Amino acid sequence: MDNNKDCSMYTEHVDSGKRKVTLSLTVNGHQVVRDVDPSMSLLHFLRDNIKLFGTKEACGEGECGACTIIMNGKAVTSCIVLAVEAEGAQITTVEGLAKDGKLSILQEEFISEDALQCGYCTPGFLMSARALLDSNPNPSDEEIVEVLSGNLCRCTGYIPILNAVKRTIEREQKELGR
Amino acid sequence: MLSRFQYFKPHNLNEAVQYLDKEANSFVLAGGTDLMILLRRNVINAEHIVDIKALPETGVFEYTEGTGLKIGAAVVVNRVVDSEVVNSRYRALHQAAASLASFQLRNRATVVGNICNASPGADLPPALLVYDAVVNIAGPQGTRQVPLHQFFTGVKRTVLQHGELVVSVELPESGEGDKSIYLRQARLRGHDLATVGVAARVKPDGKVAIGIAAVAPTPLRLFALEDQINARGLSQETIEWAAEEVKEHIHPITDVRSSAAYRLQMASVLLKRCLLALIAKED
Amino acid sequence: MAKAEYKSKYKRVGQRYDRKDAREKVTGQAVYTYDLELPGMLYARCLLSPYARAKIVSIDTSKAKALPGVRAILTGEDSDILVGLYMQDKRVLSRGVTRYQGDVVAAVAAEDEETAERAISLIDVVYEPLEPVHDVDEALEGKILVHEDINELKHYVGVFFPQKDSNIASWNKSKKGDLEKAFAESDLVVENDFSLPAVAHVPMETHVSIVQADPFSNKIKIWSSAQSPFAIRQIMADSFGVSESDVEVHIPYVGGGFGGKAGIHLEPLATLLSKAAGGLPVKVRATREQEFNQLPTRAGMRGRIKTAANKDGKITAMQAVYDWDSGAYADYGVNVGKTAVYSGIGPYSIENACIDSKTIYTNKVFSTAYRGFGHLETHWSIERQIDILSQKLGIDPYEFRMMNLLEPGDKTMSGEVITESSGNPKECLTAVVKEIGWTGRKTEEERQREWKTGKVRGKGFAMLQKAPAMPANTATSVVMQMNGDGHVKMMIGAVDMGQGAITALSQIAAQELDMPIEDIEISAQIDTRSNPYDWNTVASKLTFLGGNAVVKASHELLHKMKVIAGQVLRTDPENLLHANGEIYHPHNPNRRLSYKDIALGYMYPDGSGIGGPLIASGSVVADGLTNLHPETGQGNPAAVWTFGAHAVEIEVDVETGSVTVLKVASAFDVGQVINEKLIYGQICGGVLQGLGSALLEGYKFNKDEKLMNPSFTDNKIPTMKDMPVEIVPIYIENPQHNGPLGARGVGEHPMISVPSAIGNAVYDALGINFHVLPLSPEAIVLGIQSGKKSILCTDVDCLPGRL
Ligand code: FES
Ligand code: FES
Repeated sequence: MDNNKDCSMYTEHVDSGKRKVTLSLTVNGHQVVRDVDPSMSLLHFLRDNIKLFGTKEACGEGECGACTIIMNGKAVTSCIVLAVEAEGAQITTVEGLAKDGKLSILQEEFISEDALQCGYCTPGFLMSARALLDSNPNPSDEEIVEVLSGNLCRCTGYIPILNAVKRTIEREQKELGR
Repeated sequence: MLSRFQYFKPHNLNEAVQYLDKEANSFVLAGGTDLMILLRRNVINAEHIVDIKALPETGVFEYTEGTGLKIGAAVVVNRVVDSEVVNSRYRALHQAAASLASFQLRNRATVVGNICNASPGADLPPALLVYDAVVNIAGPQGTRQVPLHQFFTGVKRTVLQHGELVVSVELPESGEGDKSIYLRQARLRGHDLATVGVAARVKPDGKVAIGIAAVAPTPLRLFALEDQINARGLSQETIEWAAEEVKEHIHPITDVRSSAAYRLQMASVLLKRCLLALIAKED
Repeated sequence: MAKAEYKSKYKRVGQRYDRKDAREKVTGQAVYTYDLELPGMLYARCLLSPYARAKIVSIDTSKAKALPGVRAILTGEDSDILVGLYMQDKRVLSRGVTRYQGDVVAAVAAEDEETAERAISLIDVVYEPLEPVHDVDEALEGKILVHEDINELKHYVGVFFPQKDSNIASWNKSKKGDLEKAFAESDLVVENDFSLPAVAHVPMETHVSIVQADPFSNKIKIWSSAQSPFAIRQIMADSFGVSESDVEVHIPYVGGGFGGKAGIHLEPLATLLSKAAGGLPVKVRATREQEFNQLPTRAGMRGRIKTAANKDGKITAMQAVYDWDSGAYADYGVNVGKTAVYSGIGPYSIENACIDSKTIYTNKVFSTAYRGFGHLETHWSIERQIDILSQKLGIDPYEFRMMNLLEPGDKTMSGEVITESSGNPKECLTAVVKEIGWTGRKTEEERQREWKTGKVRGKGFAMLQKAPAMPANTATSVVMQMNGDGHVKMMIGAVDMGQGAITALSQIAAQELDMPIEDIEISAQIDTRSNPYDWNTVASKLTFLGGNAVVKASHELLHKMKVIAGQVLRTDPENLLHANGEIYHPHNPNRRLSYKDIALGYMYPDGSGIGGPLIASGSVVADGLTNLHPETGQGNPAAVWTFGAHAVEIEVDVETGSVTVLKVASAFDVGQVINEKLIYGQICGGVLQGLGSALLEGYKFNKDEKLMNPSFTDNKIPTMKDMPVEIVPIYIENPQHNGPLGARGVGEHPMISVPSAIGNAVYDALGINFHVLPLSPEAIVLGIQSGKKSILCTDVDCLPGRL
């Protein structure tokens, strides 16, 4: 007989006495100032604190990319970033992609190439792709695959997603002169 | 996550070391890609998190002719992947860095973090080991340097003492005629921990260095095998021999990722491929 | 690529419309259950059993109860509710014993997730670990019973057959012809074992349920990431002893299902917690670990196939024994097992055949439906066996299959006669075999030559078939209502979890009503109070049954419009036609009315009105299905077969064992393409999931039956880097006469037989027959090293799913 509390988990965890930290950052162009618990992840800050539910969680461990956002120009998985680490950061989430009431080309191409089914992975893919195209407007197929393979999708088989990004590159070059 | 910690972001090294020394259950945060998972799974109980990204020493990433390469503890893996110097002079490090985890993770994960996590299967140590990397450690007793091959003491264990942190890792100069390569096998093409990872280097004097991961409790530098290879002279025959001999120098286990038998076989195949690629480049 | 070339004969059906829910999904506005917050909502966490089988000696929740913010704590002592789809075998919370290492032992509802998690960590449980039932062989011995009370378990009588004092949740059978005689008289008899491990569905949104259960009445309100709102309603009513109408089920957007969200999962636990917390809504969300180790999976399976054939290549007899490792509970597992008895010989015409399919309890993660519903598993066995037979007979595997595939006039396993309207398996096979340029198997010399280069290529192919596995009286319905602007509001009871149902059904409506698809209003979100009944969103039945319901409703709506228009235009409604949103008289085309003018009734110039708001409905029930005979398995279980075939070309690195998939050609007799873009998506997605099962995925348990890979760190799914170099979709259109515009479903099919085709290609490349999945780099290398020509699970110590 033994007294097992499962999974090596649940060793005694001492509460150091929640001490909130004031955090100020820019999300989708808006200045945000909030007091946060230092152990809160950036993902939960975005969802629970400033109520942007577009960014999803599917693993919480940096393995799936569903929570990908753009932080200071880089795609990062927000589930394994602490909110407090984003002090002063510029953040873009899926809600920040459409501007002036118009979908971005990337979003339009995700629709027309059918790059989504259940749509749960879609915000993460959009942000990974956006960060890539912002830093490299004309990536090779190989570069696209390298960057997007950090995002998991169980529905589409990825081919339509790759097609959507390739179409976006063409159109952005033509229409935005990138 | 059950941990409820305080967050401290010091701006100089002394402050950081003092804080780490003073507070029990304090953990160093750089990229957080490993730490956050340990916290989430409640494997560790953190009361204090010390974010070292604002320390001037940890942001250093520079190559100096004659001295070599210095990578600060806050330097993320993708910076190394994108570095021209690393790509041309420390090829194995470039390749190992480019194969680590996923692109987004590499935007956060740091080179030094990959060392400090001390995972037996980490990708970067084999490449760093073949370049005789040295770890710069700061602690309450001052600073010290430890060669990377002495840094690991067991699965997820290192020589770091309470209050110490790794500030940077240094790689001696690698010049003309220095060649290296990193190859890995994983369960799929997408991001995965290496089933086995092998780095090999041929120095300008023709001497070989070999680093290997996921075949022992720690990443290994195979000094004894290197001596034997060097004694025989690097050739097609030596390579065939070494590919068999390497099995005597490693102690892989069976775990959820792979059986010991497959790891043995992959160590052999990857070492052979590494060395063949290096002598092919000679031509 | 075939995809750009497809041309439909219809104006709207077959066209490549964008999916209706896409805009909300690319802007982050689509709301999933995980995103929902309700006033006063509490958050739950579960304590799972750490043992595969253990006695719960005591539970102490006092420390957890004392934690501020905790609102309810439940253990097995607090509830004796049993749930189950076909077998009521699962307690919401374990009582007395735990049956797998994911059984819920205690649950907490608290003001936030952190508090709930902390409370869980403060619960002390004393267990007495018991020896678990490890595998199907041990289970069949029956020395330890997973369910001691198996003889008393309430179940669906006459369809499922639990065996007394055993671990067999159901033993389903079918047989026809004279097996013994055929085996005795045939030129060749070959017997083989094939196996594959449990595989997880991995929807990107994990299971989430929110329930608000009024403690003062019978009302239960559910919001859930689920595929089967009406099944949840019915099972909840059954289990909680309330009326179906007391239960309301809301389905917001669902982040993937693949069968794993069919049936009922976290809803009962959330209900109990909500009641215990005074009726506040409680959200239960599975973490990714729980998704792997608590929620159900695809069953592991072993198939024993014995086949007889004559020298000329005619298969004379087939005996199949399928043993399903269903884990601790039956869930959909028994129905998967049942399906195998009518589909488990593949799409072949075989006179003498017999199938025994046993769904077996063990102390592992329990099983449920997964895309393909057992067909990936049975076809892994059958299509490998067919390939091996053709090797032994020295007949080309394409020719061999063509000699034995079903054609009009032939009978299926259950005795159903195939007709021209059933679709054409031979056409599918021929198309894919041509696409990959099959010219026959490699010779041993060719293999040896290529082997020296370190990389060997191989080609292979496999057949597939599937019909929806559903009760004989499966039904669905559609309600259409016209808005004042002439748009049609359409309501269905089935869930669109990404398969594109609402778009496809809108296209059928737009086609039948001849109006723009943009004017069909339909929501992916379901509310059982307002949406009409649908049995279950599973089994690829929606295009077929739902499509027929849409056609019916459209015709009723048109009829009603014509009746009103006939009055206005002063003619017999029979004389009127419709086109482009208008009703008109073909002889005097200027006698016309737009739909809009009669949507809410027609108003004469003097203000008086006729007709009133237009509403129509369409109800369908599966046509001509019967339950199977319990002993012979004869009957008519299949409303619609969809046949198909995959052919692949691969390259194997003989030193590392890595398999590169160069090309996949996939053909399905879909009857009629509804939306080429959506089908293409189903094929790409299904093929990649199939490749996951073929090359990579599978549960690994340690010797104590603890799941060793309950996270993405070690339970990998294919990434973008793992896509095949090329996928060629081929649509065969032999219409089904009772299908909507001739269409058949194809949601699950792209996944089936992908592993079989890969396994056959591995044989072509290496000359080694693998009988186990996955064909991981490790399995391939250890298989080669073993020096054997047939690799069983005992030959490679990494397989299947065993450490
Ligand atoms: S939720 Fe952040 S990577 Fe999966
Ligand atoms: S669309 Fe469902 S996971 Fe990608």
